[in-house]
Amino acid sequence: MTTASGRAEPSRTSKPAEPGALRLIWQHRVDYAYVLPSIVVMMIVIAYPIYYTIDLSFFKTPPSLQLRDKIFVGMENYGAILQSDVFWRVTWNTVVWTVASTVIAFALGFGAALALHRDFIGRGVLRAILIIPWVISAVAASYIWKWIYHSDFGVIGAVLVELGITSRPPNFIDNVNTVLPALIVVNIWREFPFAMIMLMAGLQTVPDQLLRAAKVDGANAWQRFWHVTFPHLRNVSTVTILLLAVANFNSFIIPWIMTGGGPSNASHIWITHIYELAFGRQRWGVASAYSVLLFLILMTLGYFYVRALGGNESKDRGT
Amino acid sequence: MAHVVLKDLVKTYGSFHAVNHVSLTVNDGEFVALVGPSGCGKTTTLNLVAGLIPVTSGDIMIGDRIVNDLDPKDRDIAMVFQNYALYPQKSVYKNLAFPLQMRKLTKEEIDRKVRDAARVLDMTHLLERKPRELSGGQQQRVALGRALVRDPAVFLMDEPLSNLDAKLRVQMRSEIKRFHQDLNATIIYVTHDQLEAVTMADRMAVMNGGFLQQYDAPAEVFANPVNMFVASFVGSPAMSLVPLEASGSGDTAALTSAEGWTLPLSAENARKVARATSRKIVLGARHSTIRLHKSAEPGAIPAKVYTVEPTGDITFVQAFLSGSIVNISVPASVHVSPDEMIWLEFDQARIHLFDGETEMALKAA
Repeated sequence: MTTASGRAEPSRTSKPAEPGALRLIWQHRVDYAYVLPSIVVMMIVIAYPIYYTIDLSFFKTPPSLQLRDKIFVGMENYGAILQSDVFWRVTWNTVVWTVASTVIAFALGFGAALALHRDFIGRGVLRAILIIPWVISAVAASYIWKWIYHSDFGVIGAVLVELGITSRPPNFIDNVNTVLPALIVVNIWREFPFAMIMLMAGLQTVPDQLLRAAKVDGANAWQRFWHVTFPHLRNVSTVTILLLAVANFNSFIIPWIMTGGGPSNASHIWITHIYELAFGRQRWGVASAYSVLLFLILMTLGYFYVRALGGNESKDRGT
Repeated sequence: MAHVVLKDLVKTYGSFHAVNHVSLTVNDGEFVALVGPSGCGKTTTLNLVAGLIPVTSGDIMIGDRIVNDLDPKDRDIAMVFQNYALYPQKSVYKNLAFPLQMRKLTKEEIDRKVRDAARVLDMTHLLERKPRELSGGQQQRVALGRALVRDPAVFLMDEPLSNLDAKLRVQMRSEIKRFHQDLNATIIYVTHDQLEAVTMADRMAVMNGGFLQQYDAPAEVFANPVNMFVASFVGSPAMSLVPLEASGSGDTAALTSAEGWTLPLSAENARKVARATSRKIVLGARHSTIRLHKSAEPGAIPAKVYTVEPTGDITFVQAFLSGSIVNISVPASVHVSPDEMIWLEFDQARIHLFDGETEMALKAA
């Protein structure tokens, strides 16, 4: 207890001149020595790239010049981004992609977890099958879905024609209106097992006595879920949603492999757009500025994630 | 309030008999303790009464209704759980109000009943708190309150004190006893602690292996245990049991040890021994009925001190007698030390004799 608070003190108060702080650091020099290697590694692989990206975001990098001949342009990259139509299009896509994927994957995962929490024959097999989308490679899954959606050879199109619902197979991923929903379906399919596993673990910790107490108190199945199970899963739900949101915000594999952001930016989200700007068009400066903005947004999400992990339960979800 | 009748109650899980043909009656306003070691079927019995698990066979009556097929909420019962089972995200007020909300009472009625219960249990000042902001004793009081607001026919309590520390347990013990007296409530109380049963209950039902062993007032169970299990379970320290061999008959009837000594029996005890199914007899004696001598006395049996446990006002001596450990209590002024030879004198009127084969208490007639 004393060591923990003693160590936290200098960094929190950030008054290096305090005589006690230095002495405390010295007293805990062995502790610092233990964390030093990982700090050094983090400085090299995380802190420096972040610094370099921020630095680069103030420069213009014409493809005709070498990177060391970059031209300082101040905030111009940021201005250009915020004024471009593509930026708003991509941002809207990212919001739709993230929110829809997160909410639907969570809801499906919740449903699956509740269904699999009951004891029935074949539960173990079903559980194993439902985890498959999450464990297979995203690249492989993307290619499989590309074929499933294919306008000439796709299974979905063939089935729809066979059933007489459409005369021609629909073209899901070459249509600006359907491409994003089509990709979101793939993403949800891949992600809901994660939510399912998290919530199944959470469900196992719901105290049996509490459910029995509610039963004796006269609560029906729905009321037991709403008054006991659901509040108990609040923390694990928050963490799951935040992890899903961060993962979705950072998605790359599915949109990049299935559409590369097309057609006409209809399925570009931030990460694929940044990748294309940087490695497709060598616009390092603009890509860096994008990255800085993305970094700020993700740090905000990260802040809420850490707070949720801290188990802040003081807010009452009234009944 | 109402009486509860269990008729030939059976609960099986596969081939395992958790509750075996248990029949007992709990009178209106009576405090009955179901007591026994872990896995004896006492909690299963309580859950059967509550309706949390279905009965395999037999009948449960609460009041004059057979409730076998009723849901817990329709049985007019309230239950208090071992770990309190308070809804963690609800305030104390909302915890107390919950069973009333489920019964669709009006807001005013709920408020009145909650505040009444809070006043009875002296926790009006806690109503706005969350369960985690309360001590264990306060949480248990809230759990009692949640049972109380329902005004049920029967209170079912499942080891309500076993999560509390020793001091608080003693205090809550008297609170629950007071609760029973003030409300004249019918209470079925499950505990593995025979002391709780003895101190609180009007009658105690001792269970083992799914069977009801003895159902009687604590004093009667203590004085006349029906078999060796009850004898060794009730009382602290437990009754000492020494397996011996019967010898002689009539005036010469005695118990003989492989160690070579014999204990002559009184005429009444001789008649008891004569009714045994074999020559194997188990001698039972409570610590307070054995006299300890530091030198050989006529009628006293030699034993060797194993350990000495001073508790302040009395000292417990454990001694080896014919291969068994015997507990004796002596005044703190008596000093003995381990491995010392002592002589034990048994009170013929207060010893218990058990059949070594059937383990049942032997009766004179």
